Amino acid sequence: MLDAITNYLHSNATPGEAGSMLWATIYILIIVIGISLAVIAMNWLERKILAHMQIRLGPMRVGPHGLLQPFADALKLLIKEDIIPENADKLVFWSAPVVVTMTAFTTFLVVPFGREHAVTDMNIGILFMLGVSSLGVLGIIMAGWSSNSHYPLMGSLRSSAQMVSYEIAMGLAIVCAVLMTSLQTGTGTLSMIGIVEAQAQQQTWFIFKMFPLGFLAFAIFAIAMVAETNRAPFDLPEAESELVAGFHTEYSGFRWSLFFLAEYAAMLAVSSIAVTLWLGGWMRPFPNWLNGGAWGLAFSFFPALTLFVLAGLCLLGAVRMPKIPQMKIQTAGLTMFGLLLGFIGLVLLAPGVRERVQDIYWFVVKVAFFMYLYIWYRGTFPRYRFDQLMKVGWKVLLPTGLGVLIATALWGLMPQISSSVARGLGVLP
Amino acid sequence: MSLSPLIRKILLVDLVKGLKVTFKYQPPSEAVTEQYPLERPVIYERYRGQPRLKVDPESGHSMCIVCNLCALACPEQLIVVKGERNPVTKRKEPVSWSYDLSRCMFCGLCAEACSTGALELSQDYEMALYSREGMVLDQAALERGPEPVQYVK
Repeated sequence: MLDAITNYLHSNATPGEAGSMLWATIYILIIVIGISLAVIAMNWLERKILAHMQIRLGPMRVGPHGLLQPFADALKLLIKEDIIPENADKLVFWSAPVVVTMTAFTTFLVVPFGREHAVTDMNIGILFMLGVSSLGVLGIIMAGWSSNSHYPLMGSLRSSAQMVSYEIAMGLAIVCAVLMTSLQTGTGTLSMIGIVEAQAQQQTWFIFKMFPLGFLAFAIFAIAMVAETNRAPFDLPEAESELVAGFHTEYSGFRWSLFFLAEYAAMLAVSSIAVTLWLGGWMRPFPNWLNGGAWGLAFSFFPALTLFVLAGLCLLGAVRMPKIPQMKIQTAGLTMFGLLLGFIGLVLLAPGVRERVQDIYWFVVKVAFFMYLYIWYRGTFPRYRFDQLMKVGWKVLLPTGLGVLIATALWGLMPQISSSVARGLGVLP
Repeated sequence: MSLSPLIRKILLVDLVKGLKVTFKYQPPSEAVTEQYPLERPVIYERYRGQPRLKVDPESGHSMCIVCNLCALACPEQLIVVKGERNPVTKRKEPVSWSYDLSRCMFCGLCAEACSTGALELSQDYEMALYSREGMVLDQAALERGPEPVQYVK
């Protein structure tokens, strides 16, 4: 029994490949909890970073530097009255947030946090992700329609129009990356793990491949993914000044928090698509330039180091707290949190854990960068008008995407084309 | 740096500029937020806040001589003063004062009109109340001044 459990840990495969139901369940649980924690962290970080960009302080009162603010918010949302409008279509109204949340979370089935850290290695991974995540728009339309109110309906219609038009550009950009996977082996792959392995094989991230084509495809995806997740500057479906809150105007309490959860989970999902396709997934920086045992060892210390830095910041904050009796609990809490982070850092230093965790660490760091970009955009850019949005989608991104796709295909076929031309000219046999 | 508008558009020059600005303002030291109950704003000398009635520190009598100039000066006519002559000191002393803060616009004309400098608009600004009635100040309230609850975290 115990063997069946631990056997998996020695195999270098995802639970799906190893056929271990138990470990697949454990992975799913870890991912759901991890995503929820990430959403909580994102909630705090977004409010903090956005506030600092706008020369404000952001949450400061609930816990040291507002660290407990997301928990207070979550508690508030959970105990809020559960309102369903009288004239709403109750069943649809009830199921819309469930659909949105489920689609957002299901996409993480195929996200490769590391070579063996994905629930399963699906051979149509990227297609699965796109398919499931675009089902999310169904939930949004359901929410808007069933609310039986003007603003939600307008918001959901905008949302569907936006998602449909940006999905095309997004798909074209993804096809470029998928084409690149076939460059050396001749056979491409749609598997998320396969795509990262193709980048490892070709010794470069796809963003630098066939410069500037890889970069262009990435840029198209990076713009389309902001639009796809309804975030500023493409946040027309939830445009506060125009539509109150868009499709979730009539939602409150726990249902609303499900929408919130789904929005951030979707952001994480598309960011992890971008990281997997163009930024080398779980690979650490410069694997071929800074290779060798010493560099490998040095890079494997990074996860622990990051946690130590965070722990140090917490302890520094605890030391700098005002020394008055009212702050005692906060100081103690912050010290405990710092010590906890330090302890996790120590655990990550253990050789066995170190080797297994660093894939996840680099993946998370890259996704975190995209999350920061999302917040940065929101803090900087004004919202597009609807016609501008459609113009950017159909007249700029779509043609560029098509052009990049054709150029990538031609570039990839260059050896065959040149050899066949040479054969035609009689230069080669 | 002069690029043609088209190239600026393609390279997203303006967007990058905007991103730079927001990035630059991120250090918390840049924040202008004043955490109000903990930190208090600097109030300047000529600020006109809650009215105060001064008491002569030596004799302990009110400095008001019920000349009624403030009530006449008030554009809102919200000051009502009544007084009577003290037979011992031969001074006119206020009997009832009423200053309706809810109608006051803090123009300061009453303080300017005051012949003895008894009435002044002080620098107190914490005047929020739970009842409308509390905004009508009597002599005791005017001499006492506001008593805001001290915030301790």
